[in-house]
This record gives sequence, C-alpha cells and structure tokens, in this order.
Amino acid sequence: MSANDDYYDVIIVGAGLGGGIAAGVLAEAGHRVLVLERGRNLAFDQIAGDHLRNHRLTLYGDNTTVDPGAQQRVFVDAAGHEHVVRPHEAGFNLNAFTVGGGARIWGMQAWRFHPDDFRMASRYGTPSGSSLADWPIGYEELAPYYERAEREVGVAGDNLGDTHAPRTAGFPLPAVPQSPTGAWLARGAAALGWKTFVPPLAVNTQPYQGRGACIQCGQCIGFACPTDAKNGSHNTLLPRALSTGRTTLTTGAHVTRITTDAAGRVDGVEYFAPSAPSVRPVASGGGAPPKPDYERRSARARFVVVASGAIETARLLLLSASSQHPNGLGNHSDHLGRHVQGHYYPTAFGLLPRGVENPNLGPGVTIASTRFNHGNPGVIGGAMLANDFVKLPIIFWRSSLPPDIPRWGLVNKQAMRDLYLRGTDIRGPVQEIPSPDSRVTLDPHMRDHFGNPVARLSGTTHPETVRTANFIRERAEEWLRASGAERVWSWPLERKFSAGQHQAGTCRMSTDPRDGVTDPFGRVHGHENLFVCDGSLHVTNGGFNPALTIMALAFRTATHIAAQA
Amino acid sequence: VTASVSFPDLPSAPFPLAILRALLDRLIPSEDGFPGAVDAGVENYLARQFAGSCAHEATRLARGLLQLDAESFARHGVPFVSLAPSRQDALLGDLEKGRAVSSWPVEVGPAAFFARMVDLAHEGFYSDPGNGGNREAISWRMIGYDPRLPSSATDHASKAAPNAASRSDSGAAANHFPG
Repeated sequence: MSANDDYYDVIIVGAGLGGGIAAGVLAEAGHRVLVLERGRNLAFDQIAGDHLRNHRLTLYGDNTTVDPGAQQRVFVDAAGHEHVVRPHEAGFNLNAFTVGGGARIWGMQAWRFHPDDFRMASRYGTPSGSSLADWPIGYEELAPYYERAEREVGVAGDNLGDTHAPRTAGFPLPAVPQSPTGAWLARGAAALGWKTFVPPLAVNTQPYQGRGACIQCGQCIGFACPTDAKNGSHNTLLPRALSTGRTTLTTGAHVTRITTDAAGRVDGVEYFAPSAPSVRPVASGGGAPPKPDYERRSARARFVVVASGAIETARLLLLSASSQHPNGLGNHSDHLGRHVQGHYYPTAFGLLPRGVENPNLGPGVTIASTRFNHGNPGVIGGAMLANDFVKLPIIFWRSSLPPDIPRWGLVNKQAMRDLYLRGTDIRGPVQEIPSPDSRVTLDPHMRDHFGNPVARLSGTTHPETVRTANFIRERAEEWLRASGAERVWSWPLERKFSAGQHQAGTCRMSTDPRDGVTDPFGRVHGHENLFVCDGSLHVTNGGFNPALTIMALAFRTATHIAAQA
Repeated sequence: VTASVSFPDLPSAPFPLAILRALLDRLIPSEDGFPGAVDAGVENYLARQFAGSCAHEATRLARGLLQLDAESFARHGVPFVSLAPSRQDALLGDLEKGRAVSSWPVEVGPAAFFARMVDLAHEGFYSDPGNGGNREAISWRMIGYDPRLPSSATDHASKAAPNAASRSDSGAAANHFPG
C-alpha cells in the first residue's frame, strides 16, 4: 500500500487525552484507525529533569516540543501589540506536543464538573458582552462517561468526601494520602465551617492495570512520571488501541488540511510527516534544533476526528476551508475559534507556622474544597480551591517568596533556607465567563514551515471572569489565615487572554447549528462524518481542571461514532 | 572552580570572568556551612547558557560586567573586585534601582542588566545540576529539596510495570509507538 492511498475507518488528529481515548474505543469496536500526532513518543528521560525547560517553567524551552521552529503563533496582547511566539514563550499558550498530550506531564487533577457548570446561563443569566451559554447536555448525560473515564484511565479519590457531583460508583483507586500540610489546612477550613476532602487525582496510588504505584517523587507536575503511575491515554486507551492491531500511530505528523470531495463531504486529511527517523527533543541549550525532513502525505477515511486542543483544532478547521465552506469547516455561524477559555488561577501564598511538618511529597495536592464553585454573592460561578503541587526550588525562588524579601544577597539566600519547606499556597481554577472576542484566527502574514497560516490569538476574557477570580483569591487568603499561616499574600488578577494548558471553547457544542460549531455529540454541524474530540467542545470550562471532562466527552463521542461507523 | 565550557570573548577583550565571580559572590554569598554561587559552580551554568540558550545575551551581559567595573572606578577609584563587600552591595543596590554615575551603554541599562544577572545566578544555583550549576545539588540540600527520583528511573519503571504495554522507554513496548 503506498502512502497516498491509505484508507481507514477513522482518522484521529491528535494523540492526547481526547484522541487517545477515541482511538481505544473505536479500535476495540473493530474499526481501522489512523492516529496522526504532531509530537513524538518521548521516553521518560527526555521529559525527566530539566528544571528550566519543563511544562511548569518554560524559561528556555519545554521538554516535549520537537522542532520548535515548526510551530509558532502570533499573540496579540491586551494593548494590541503583535508578538511572534515560540512554544515556550509567553503568549503561545502551550499544551504539551507529544503522544499523550498534556497528560504526559500533568498534575493529574481529575474532576467531574459540577452539575451547574453545564447550565451557567440558566443559573446566572448572560452578562452583557459575554457569550455565556448552557451546554446542550447536562451532567446526568455525562455521568456514565465520567465513571468510565475514572475506571479505565484510573482515578484515585475520596468516595465519602467528594460529593459536589452525584456518583453511582466509587473511585477505582484509594485517594492519595493526606499530608501534614493538608491536615493543617483541613483544620483551618473546619474552623470556617468549610468542608474539605482529598481531591481526585489520576494517579496509581497502588498498582493498577499492570503498572506500578506513585513513589511520591519531588518533581511530578511538568514532567513525565518515573514509575508510569501518572495516568492518561498514553498508558491506557492508546496502547489498547495499538494492541488490537487495527491502529496505526504516526508521530511527527502535521495535519494541514481536512479534505472534502466535490460534494463537500469530508473524505480524509493531508499532512506532512518526517521522512527521516525521529529526532530527540531540544531539551537543553546548545546548537540549532534538529530539523527533520518532512514529506507530504494524504490519507482517506470514512470519519475524521479532530482532537488537537482548542487552538490547533480551531486552526485546522479554519485551514480546511473549501469552495463549499469558504470560512472553514464548521464556521457556518461564525462561532469557530471564538469563546476561547482556559482558567484564571488566583493564588494565595502563606507560610506554615514553625513546627508544621512538610515532607514535600509529590504529587502534592492533597486537600480541596468545592464550597465556592457556585452560589457566591455578587459574582458569577466560582472555583474549586486546593493546595498546590510539589514546587521546584527555582519556581519557589521566582514566585513564592514573600514580596518584601530582597531578590538577592544573603537575606534572600537565608529566606530560601528558612522558608522553602514552609511555603504553602491555595489556588483554584476559575470558571471563566467567555467572550466572543477572545479567539483563534489564521494570521494573515505569518506562515509555518509548511506554508500555512499560523494561529493568531487575540482578545481577552470577559470582565466578570476577573471579578470572580478576585473573589476566589480572597477566599484562598481567608483559608490560609484561618489555618494559622504566619503571613498571607496574593496578587490581584487583571484582564487578559486566557487559554494555556486548560484551553477550551473554540468549537462549542450546540443543539441549534446557529449557536455553535458541533452538535451535542461533537459532530461538526453540517458534516455527518467530522467530529471534534477535545476541550474545544466545552461551552464553558467549569470551575475545575477540565481533563476528566475532556475524557468523558471522548468516551461518549467515540461510542457514538462506533455505533455508526 | 573551573568552567568546563569556556566563556565567549568580547571582540576587544576576554570575557570578564573575575568581575563575574565577584558579582556572583554578592548575589548568592557563601556562609559557614552553606556554599554560595561561586562554590556551587554557577559560572559553569552561565558558560553553558552563553554557549546555548542565552547566546544572544552573552555579549550584552559581558559589556554590563565591564560597565560594572567602570561604575566602581567612577565611584571609588578601584575595580569592583577590590571593593569591600558592603560597598559592593551598596553599589549593586543602586544599580537595582537604576541609579548609576557612569554612562551605561544604551543596550545595557543598569537595572535591566542587574535584574538579568540576578535571575541567571539563581537559575544556576537552584535549578537541576544537569544545567551546569548547583554542583552536587548543594542548594537543594541547603533548603531541603529532594527530587527523590529512582537512581535509574527507567530500570525502576520497567521493574514496577513489567506488563505495561505502554512503556515507551525501552523494550518490546516501544514497538507500539513508532517515533
């Protein structure tokens, strides 16, 4: 079979959480699947230990991008200035480009959204200038798929404490152990009358599905896992897809176009893939990045599923404009690429009193409260609050010292020594109020290595997001004070473009084609065989880390496709 | 301390390594029992960065180091390395606030130069030893950080997960994941 006449049942663009899960469901249902992933499959030691180039701190690069020159974006800041940005630079809004996607390096918080997260407009009304809307499906519709994601990917949680969303089955893994810091925070919350619990994490707290348990190392978020206890599609559904013998995974594949036939029906994709053997990532400084040679390929399929993250999924649909669809596939009602959301992350910092033990064990997040997700006076929505992951020393030095500590010299050094194990913070992902002007478009000037326009990111969130974020910041401070933190401080939030690792919203689901890009199953309106399967679908992005919702939607969408493919 | 990577020379002068060392010693001083930037090999980190990720900054920052010396001469008539530590700190505190008596090159403002050197010094001191500084994880031991990675993460992982079809590090499972 030559490279130019590959024919599949389903082509999936992107091997992250959404695409990897879709591949597993569809291949096990008997379909022939081609997965095209822009990143590479990286070994642990390629994502292992560079504290200056990882997905928690991208000072000089990140630890998953191969060939960074092939991927740039144009970022338009709040003042209207354009910046050409590389993956590790501010404004790019990077999520990991690798097999497994962001879940290869994530912090593993695996939350179900709150039932009211699916009906934000009904509960709060739609503020002027915002595009706040209800989802076309409710929590009850997604609940069985949340359960399936928890079981098949592997989530550790607290059956008794975690009650913000009704559940009919327990977590498959016991919750992570409480830390002394978490116990101290629990007492502070109890004094305020706030309920807390150990949050759900997609981590093997004990051996599960043939892989070992977390060893509580001190890196965790931003890095791959040394014991493969960090769960995602890369170590569950994607290997299952491959083990059927019906799945082909091609890495380094940059999809440039979804193709349509003369009648406008989607029939495949065009892409570039490396003609040379794979290269290693640019993990540390020195020399020019490796440049693989790419060759042009195409493949055809009965179904195409786009799962490239909210920015690149929107870009690909825009790049796929045809004579029948001159504004891009799914852009019939001018929603494609709009309503970009991520999460504002208000954070309060404090110092543990002397004597509170902090063994600084990973993953680090051990206590949460969902008290402020909804029903907050004077603001729309809210956020889950939790403590933070283990923190690298250089990140602590950059962002977590009290603001009156000098930035250098003996006093700074002594503060690092005295305070590193006493620093603690509370933070929460604020449910953003979407704006139609926060968007992904095709840049009119800048082209990528393959001659196609790069993503242009512009606009800001709605002002109501900022109001909610500052309310949540005050609650985070309140929690630390009630716990007895020696000092508490935080930084006010301002209006900005928000997407990043939690990027969402650019292909919102809707029942009526006039109101969105896809139908309630993720099928692009007007295209019976084109689906979206990532955070792009989220009408709103919840006051929680969005990964488990991406997974649940992927199980649901893929099951729907499998029934008709 | 010997840098394993050499510093890039300026067109008209060698890289001002002595001035750099004197600056590093004030940014992160050594104390009894607690080594500072010089002991931890931060200059090795800088040499590697100037040959790699920070190559575009090397000349500008080297000029800044020469100007730091000129600033010392202008104020006290002696090179920076000869100043008493208290005077070095006072001078640096002024630069941090953008206060200088000598004329700094347009492309190297005193406050921006100083802030950049502060960042670089601490990156070298507190980041992983694989970046060239933080020799033997000196700073991590000082503050109580331990990455607790298995001595051979790959070996550990393959022992912990003998049946995992997903292991991509090595072994048969790699066949599932081309590229």
